[in-house]
Formats: sequence, structure tokens, C-alpha cells
Amino acid sequence: MKNRLKVLRAERDWSQADLAERLAVSRQSINAIETGKYDPSLPLAFKIADLFDMAIEEVFLND
Amino acid sequence: MSDRSDQVGEMPKSKIPPSMRRYFWRMGIFMTAYMVILIWGLSLKNSSNPPEGLFIYGLAILTALPMCGVFWTVFRLLVEMEDEYQRFLVAKQIMLATAITLCAATIWQFLNVYDLMTEGPQWFGVIWLVTFGIADGIVRWRA
Repeated sequence: MKNRLKVLRAERDWSQADLAERLAVSRQSINAIETGKYDPSLPLAFKIADLFDMAIEEVFLND
Repeated sequence: MSDRSDQVGEMPKSKIPPSMRRYFWRMGIFMTAYMVILIWGLSLKNSSNPPEGLFIYGLAILTALPMCGVFWTVFRLLVEMEDEYQRFLVAKQIMLATAITLCAATIWQFLNVYDLMTEGPQWFGVIWLVTFGIADGIVRWRA
């Protein structure tokens, strides 16, 4: 599953650590999601979408 | 919508998450208990008047119990971890350690069946713990 996390993060000038802190997850989690190595659970995906004030399908894209 | 944030584990400000702190404490307690009971038990067994009967059965089981506690500690970590990606890595680590241990057991079993090896590894609990440590490096290197 592709995602726009890196772009959205860059638009806000947030580091991976900043985003990780806002989501209460580890920085490694953010890195794994951004690089497509890990697809987040539905609760975490919703939390990410909520943080960027977007719909979940605007952040995560089906391949 | 606000309830959704509650469904994802809260990461504390401290560098070591509470689940890892509990893991280290439990692991320390069980490993210490294991070493103390093992040394005490073996010294009794090798003494001039070794215990017999039901006592020796109890001693054997008592020595094994802290190791069971170690395995319980590992699986509790899997349940309690706050970060779902870290939990995913630990799950992979457990699977890899179990696979390596079962491979070693199966190979040894067939070496034994073909009478090529009569003596083989017996401390599979300890072997699993060692492979669990090795698997940690492999899983995080590939992560």
C-alpha cells in the first residue's frame, strides 16, 4: 500500500521524530510506513489521517 | 472520532517504554531465580547425600519453572508492547527463533534415527533463548 506520509510530513516541515511523537509511536514505525515496509493498522491509519486533517484514502493509496 | 486516538497505544516520553521496563524486570527476576535454583539444585544433586524420591522430582520441576517464566515474559512483551510496528518485529523474531530451534531439533532427531548421533542437544529452552537473541539482530537488520 502506497502512502503520502513523507510528502505530508515535508509540507509541515516535520521530522520523522516529530511525527512519531505526535502519533505516540516509534520513529522506526514512521520510517517503516513511509518506505512501504509496514502497513499500519486501521486505528493507526485513522490516527495519521486525523492528524493531517484528511480522509484516510487521501493519505493511503491502494496499489 | 476522538475515541480513535485512544485505540492506539500511548508512547511515553521516557525512552524506554513501560512494556520494555516490565520485560527487563521480569527477565532479570526469572533469570536470577533460575541461576540460584540451578546452582542450589546441582550442588544438592552432587553432594555426598543426594536427595531421592519425590523431592528430586520437585527439585527438577522447580528448576524448570523460572525458564517457563522467561518464556511467559517474552510472550507478555508481545501482548503489552505499545508500538504496533515493534510488536510486529518481536512477532517475527519469535517465529524465526522457533523455526531455527525446530530445525535444529528435527535435524538432530533424524541424525539420531539413522544412528549417526546418539548424543544431541537437550537444552532446547536455552537454545531457543539464544536463537531469540540472534533472531533479534536478523529481524532488525532486515527491517
